[in-house]
Amino acid sequence: MADRNITYLTNVNLITCVLQSNSAESVLEIAKHAGVQGATITYAQGTGIRERMGLTGMAIDKHKEVVRMIVSEEQTEHVFESLYLAGELDKPGNGIMFVTALEKIATYIPKNVLKKLSKA
Amino acid sequence: MRYSSLLGLTTVEHQTIPYHQIEPKINPKKSRWRRSRHKKVKLPLPEIFALWLPYCYTRILEQIKNVVPLAMYLLMFQIFILRQPINNAFSLTLGLVAVIIGLAIFMEGLHKGLMPFSTRIGDHLPQKVNILVVFIIIGILGVGVTFAEPAIGALQAFGASLDINKVPYLYEMLNNRVLLLVIFVGCGVGIAAILGTMRLIYGWSLKTMIYPTVGIVMALSIYVWWQPDLRSVLGLAWDCGAVTTGPVTVPLVLALGIGLSNATQHDGQSSLSGFGIVTMASLLPIIAVLLMAIWLSFTMTPEQIIAQASVHKSIALAPSLWSTTPFNEIIMGLRAIIPLVLFLLFVLLVIIRSTLVDRIETIYGLVLLAIGMCIFNIGLSYGLGAIGTQVGNNLSAAFMESSSLQQSPIYTASVGLFLVILFAFILGFGATIAEPALNALGHTVQNLTNGAFKKTMLMYSVAVGVAIGMSLGIVKLIFNFNLLALLLPLYMLGVGFTIFSSEEFVNVAWDSAGVTTGPVTVPLVLAMGLGLGDAISLLEGFGILSLASICPIISVLFMGLYIQFKEKLSANIESHMHLVTQR
Repeated sequence: MADRNITYLTNVNLITCVLQSNSAESVLEIAKHAGVQGATITYAQGTGIRERMGLTGMAIDKHKEVVRMIVSEEQTEHVFESLYLAGELDKPGNGIMFVTALEKIATYIPKNVLKKLSKA
Repeated sequence: MRYSSLLGLTTVEHQTIPYHQIEPKINPKKSRWRRSRHKKVKLPLPEIFALWLPYCYTRILEQIKNVVPLAMYLLMFQIFILRQPINNAFSLTLGLVAVIIGLAIFMEGLHKGLMPFSTRIGDHLPQKVNILVVFIIIGILGVGVTFAEPAIGALQAFGASLDINKVPYLYEMLNNRVLLLVIFVGCGVGIAAILGTMRLIYGWSLKTMIYPTVGIVMALSIYVWWQPDLRSVLGLAWDCGAVTTGPVTVPLVLALGIGLSNATQHDGQSSLSGFGIVTMASLLPIIAVLLMAIWLSFTMTPEQIIAQASVHKSIALAPSLWSTTPFNEIIMGLRAIIPLVLFLLFVLLVIIRSTLVDRIETIYGLVLLAIGMCIFNIGLSYGLGAIGTQVGNNLSAAFMESSSLQQSPIYTASVGLFLVILFAFILGFGATIAEPALNALGHTVQNLTNGAFKKTMLMYSVAVGVAIGMSLGIVKLIFNFNLLALLLPLYMLGVGFTIFSSEEFVNVAWDSAGVTTGPVTVPLVLAMGLGLGDAISLLEGFGILSLASICPIISVLFMGLYIQFKEKLSANIESHMHLVTQR
């Protein structure tokens, strides 16, 4: 099967944001503006400092939305900061986010894009 | 230099510290055999504030969206169309604020405190006890959730305005036997919950459940209608069906029922599994209230009730401290919540022998539930009830002479009547379209029918149905129509449509009636009906809600039939075309 091949994409990072539930959508809107191609949302439950805050912790939703998106190394810093600001992570209780380096990713890449790249 | 700062897009100051610097220290020698203890986290006050502000803000905003447009609509109508000043504007505003805050707290308490309970019980109950006990528990729970339903307080609040000499049984039920009335309604909900759950487990068809239930309701209604003393109870009974399907009953019973059917039924889950309970929960309370009225009529004569009431009146001249405003509402609120919570705790701790998942959160939720209920009850009588009564009182001035207003009638009879009916139509439409539960239902329906029944189509047909129902209800009050004469043909039509509709549409349509009657609409409409009935010296002003719940059933069924018909038609054309091309 000569016409089937796989193209690895490298130099990518994974940005994961754990946010309070119902806040992923507005953050994703900002992410799109910042140049993110796509994102995966999963629903989760969290535990942590919230349980040790007593009554104050009740204001934090234990249901979380986890947003994961793949970003090139080049754009990581920019997207990461935009999301930090969009998600208002500088305020207590809003969530946490982190960057993970990815070794390689692979997905469908349109033929004409590949052609253009091989020419260059 | 970083790429992003080259672009000049960064607005945040950077600083890097290793994580171990903020991690709590552990002594490896000490904590090897003992688990390390986490210290309580204490935030400085401004940060606590920053945490709580958005939390409260979003919850209160949600209720403002529910309450304010509706209340404003009523008040604007009174000012601009009826040209009447608003009485007690200050206490009205305070009452509305109490409704908003009370509902916000109550709903938060429901999500944090009560819902986890019922999901947990639903998941674990069938494994621990046999199915009979499960059904008994569900039945008792039905009674409990009815007490906790915020709109049920509306019934209790509006009973005092009735004339005992003209409608003795209605007066007795709403004044001296409110507790019994709510228990009866609760039993109806309980049996409905049992039947609904059985349906989920054994996969019964809703159609075959609707026919006998509607049959019994109709037979009882006709019987009650034949008794001249009892006749006035009819409106109340039918309205009770609409009151029960509110924000506590529906999610709580659904969570339990779905949990149960998940646990007992191992083969493929029907996508319709959630439906049907709401239908039963809006029909069976009618039967229960009618039965209670009939039972009352056998035990007491109207003369006895009147005599008893006059005795009560002479005793109760000096109201005790506990029946004055804040205390009465607080007691009502606590009475609504505590039995339910105790019962749920009993089931969870004694019968299932499980523990609370998150103790602080559950307790916090339950406390909120009780506080919210108390505040809402205060707002119910001073805010929603007062607005509804006031507007209802003044409505009659639009088309007929009223004793309280000098320049009445404001418009000629036909114009005034038209305005009032239009008012009811828009009220019904607006209140329904804004209901978040309807949006959710529309979404489910769209998925169920693979897009044949569009979400907006469902929302509009339900809203138009409610709007027509409300207008009909107002017309019924103004012309003093016979409620049974309206309900009987409408339900016949509903049943007739049901016979020809597919099971999916039947489920959706009959459930859509319960979706529309939230804790804000019910008291407003009830109070408005009673106020209008009072102004045009009717015996009682119930019945609007019952009409507002049958009409959407019919409109949704009609839409469903229309879609079925259209699909069949296009399928016919297609096969015809196929034949032609084959030739």
